[in-house]
Amino acid sequence: MSALRTYMALAVLTLMGQEPTKTSFSVLASFDYTEGMTLPKEVTDLDEVTVTISGFMRREVPGGSPVHEFMLVNDSCGCTGTPKLNEIVFCTLPDGVTMDVKIGIVTVTGKLYVGEEKEDGVVVMIYEMDADTVK
Amino acid sequence: MKHIHLLLLLAVASPLLALWPQDPDPWVKEVDRACTSSRYGLRLAASRKVAQAGGAAVPALRQWEKKHGRAAIPAILAESIADASTTDDPVVELLIEWTTDRDFFWRGQSMRGLANRAADLPKHRPALESLFRDYVDDAAWLTRTHARFGLVMLGNEEALQLPESDPRARPRLTALLLAKGHPAPLQPLLDALGDERTFLGDPWGKRLGQDANRALRTWLGDDYPGGGEAFDDKGEALTKLTAAARKKSGQDLHEPTIQADPDVTFAGGFEVLSCKCGDQFVRWTAHGKIYVGLDSAVEVSLPAATWERLDKSRSALQLDENLGVVICDSMRIQWQEPATHSKIAPGALPTAARDWLKQLADAIDESGAAALAEAVRSGLEQFSPR
Repeated sequence: MSALRTYMALAVLTLMGQEPTKTSFSVLASFDYTEGMTLPKEVTDLDEVTVTISGFMRREVPGGSPVHEFMLVNDSCGCTGTPKLNEIVFCTLPDGVTMDVKIGIVTVTGKLYVGEEKEDGVVVMIYEMDADTVK
Repeated sequence: MKHIHLLLLLAVASPLLALWPQDPDPWVKEVDRACTSSRYGLRLAASRKVAQAGGAAVPALRQWEKKHGRAAIPAILAESIADASTTDDPVVELLIEWTTDRDFFWRGQSMRGLANRAADLPKHRPALESLFRDYVDDAAWLTRTHARFGLVMLGNEEALQLPESDPRARPRLTALLLAKGHPAPLQPLLDALGDERTFLGDPWGKRLGQDANRALRTWLGDDYPGGGEAFDDKGEALTKLTAAARKKSGQDLHEPTIQADPDVTFAGGFEVLSCKCGDQFVRWTAHGKIYVGLDSAVEVSLPAATWERLDKSRSALQLDENLGVVICDSMRIQWQEPATHSKIAPGALPTAARDWLKQLADAIDESGAAALAEAVRSGLEQFSPR
């Protein structure tokens, strides 16, 4: 099922003739984020763009089971500082798809949404992605 | 109701009001949210609120810690308290307690919290200076870097010259000082910009460069070349950033060169990431040459027969991809034949793998690198099966 979805997503991209835009945390996390700020153009330009980005998968809460949502971060350890909101892409896999958290670097492809997302009045994310593939 | 009855009622009720339950500490809920909310963003926001409340939130924090254990305090909360500028005594006391607890995962972060505030705490200065000196050679690179940061913030510039073997340490110290507006030698940050080294697939050098770039970008402000736009060419970026840093600081800075991985094909290795005991990085070639350190600074050659025996027993090991639940300290093992990549939590290293790594340490020992072998053995300790 997962493979089929991956194939479908890639097939759609191919038919549309669109290569995913390659981006990285050196772009997304290149500025000091403060709540309510105007995000840099190089970042807002990526809103609703299908991108490919590499990083480390991390669970939002500790656990051992497969995940449907995960955080993509730039640092596997996090010991040098917990990631700021502009250092995390909150990824959601397609409906019904779960996967184990992979160790090491992964490359995620999907549509990126850029902008402050609030919950209970506080910003909970600024980068969100509908992840089609995780390799 | 007659007035007299009302007065009588008030007279009787007033002492009873004292027994009425008081408003609960408003910070109890916020601390709990910071520690247990399922959304990262909510944990982050609550952690910042708790941190900014200073001493007012400390009783609730201690209460939570008492109930759930210090190990359950999340990094994000320790980090937020470290970032805040509150100088209330209860906060300082809490940070000192956390910093000096060798078993606390986030003692490095706590040390940064003290270092950040050190210059604004004249009353605590002697105690803090003594504490920083106690940790300037700590095995955990973050803890010792933050201790040195604290010493410099108290005017002890000589801490900048202390020997350092971890390539991540000097750029971090420089970035911390720069963020506090403290003039520091900038060369380590520039050198980090050109770092492209990796360890078992982890591009740590690139990450170092990104952190350095962000620190320079903030410090340079409008003087950051290119108006903040990304550079297409790395060489051009290094030239322009060096020139801008030279101009603003007046320091004699040289343009960094690209630092790449050594021209060695690694067959496998392991890393121990430990905020408690310090990190370890070990890689080996197919012919039994061992490289130690993130930057492979130390080399040990094992006798061919020893390596052949070790390599044979290694190839029989089977490791699952994820072993145990990692909170902070972790171990990662990777080799090519058979393809293996495993992340291991403390206490979850299978016995066979533990024994093999001990044999490797023994072989390193027999090759004359006793101190190195001992470091490997002690690094393995907390991962051994319980």
